[in-house]
Amino acid sequence: MKKFSFWLAVAALTHVVVLCGAVFFQIWNAGNNVKPKIVSVTLVSLPAPAGGTQELSDGEGGAEESPVQVLTTPAPSPAIEKTVQQPVAKEPRLHPSLSPKIIEEKSPASQPPDNQLQKALDRIKQRVEQTTPPPQPASLKALNTALAKLQQKVKSAGAGTGEASGRRGAGDAKGYGTGGTSKSYKAAVALIIQQNWEFSGTLLKNSDGMAVYVRINILPDGTISQIIFDRKAVSDYLNNSVKKAIEKSSPLPILPKEEGSRDVWIGFVFSPEGIEK
Amino acid sequence: MFDSKLGAFGLLSDAGPVVLFVLSVLLSFSIVSWAIIAFKFSYLRKSLKESRVFLDFFFDVYNVEKVFTASEQYKHGALPRIFRSGYIEYKALDDKGNIRQARARIARAIKREANTENKNLSTLVPFLATVGNTAPFIGLFGTVWGIMTSFHRISLTQSASLAAVAPGISEALIATAAGLAAAIPAVIGYNYFTQQITLIERDIEEFSPEFVAALLNEP
Repeated sequence: MKKFSFWLAVAALTHVVVLCGAVFFQIWNAGNNVKPKIVSVTLVSLPAPAGGTQELSDGEGGAEESPVQVLTTPAPSPAIEKTVQQPVAKEPRLHPSLSPKIIEEKSPASQPPDNQLQKALDRIKQRVEQTTPPPQPASLKALNTALAKLQQKVKSAGAGTGEASGRRGAGDAKGYGTGGTSKSYKAAVALIIQQNWEFSGTLLKNSDGMAVYVRINILPDGTISQIIFDRKAVSDYLNNSVKKAIEKSSPLPILPKEEGSRDVWIGFVFSPEGIEK
Repeated sequence: MFDSKLGAFGLLSDAGPVVLFVLSVLLSFSIVSWAIIAFKFSYLRKSLKESRVFLDFFFDVYNVEKVFTASEQYKHGALPRIFRSGYIEYKALDDKGNIRQARARIARAIKREANTENKNLSTLVPFLATVGNTAPFIGLFGTVWGIMTSFHRISLTQSASLAAVAPGISEALIATAAGLAAAIPAVIGYNYFTQQITLIERDIEEFSPEFVAALLNEP
């Protein structure tokens, strides 16, 4: 029996060693594992709340240019719909993970909203003309139709309740915004949120409805005071991951000085890469 | 989703008391099983080896006095011990002339020692069979309990997302894995030892009459 006690002690020791080895192996293995693919944040403009004006993000100098996708939203509803996709020459996409399309929303504007939007539309027109190759008749027609629709929307939105949203088109990386939060600040915010976003698109079986439209209100000191889901995805997992990412990102860097003491609204669309059509 | 860097081990920190109890039972089963395997392996190996060497010597010499002296060296072998018990009984006989009585007494002594040897050989081995048979079920119980708890949590959180379901199921499956890890070596050990013990028992059965004959100087 003495010998059995000896073997019992040896077995117990061996188990302890094996378990410790397994734990250390897991730790070591976790260090070597490639992290699951992080789905990038796609930022697009969001509609302004009723009564407020909207300033779209300034995409000046944006390297990432995609086909023009004008997103319009009916005035009372925050939902965004794609209306036109204009066939313009594609330029190489830079970073597929982040294509900031930011809308910024402020307290009642200092300028009449119609003027701002009209200016923005003019700029778009100019840039499309400058950057696109001579359009074929069909595409030109489509462009004109889209612009006409957009103008109509702007007119119908009226002062103080105007809502518009959009993505930068090819050759027009500036977007619509004027006088908004600096692009570098928006990019920094997007980057921070993206870094804090832990989400694996491979877990999603169904790609339908997998986009989360979120607005966040940033105080001058960088604190996120409000998170508003304008549209939630079907997956609670995606919704929660977005919420956690934003919460984790607070406080953001303090707002640029040009913003003064005002708070700003920035909108995002979170969508799993590869699912977006 | 899996925040812990410890992977499967990290999940145990969230495991319920039942799963932890099951795992501790399986761990203790595994420790005892491995101790029995190591103990029996060394014991049976020595016994078989010494029995073979003793038998070779026994058939070479065929002198009970010398064989008895040599058998003193083989303390672990079953056959040397049986021979010694027969020899001691033979020496203790008052009337060596009564062959029938002497044979009966020696045979009884050898039988007694053979039974003791059989008992010693098979001690602790049934525990391996018990572990081999029950550990998977104990593990399965832990898994079923863990999955029940997991589904209960899902109902509380009202979310059926993979992030909510997967950790609970993963944690529960550890119990089954632990059950199998305890059972597989136990079953292998049990089968091996049963076969070895059968060999030794056959040797004892076969050579016991030989010892009686040798002690009584019968051809």
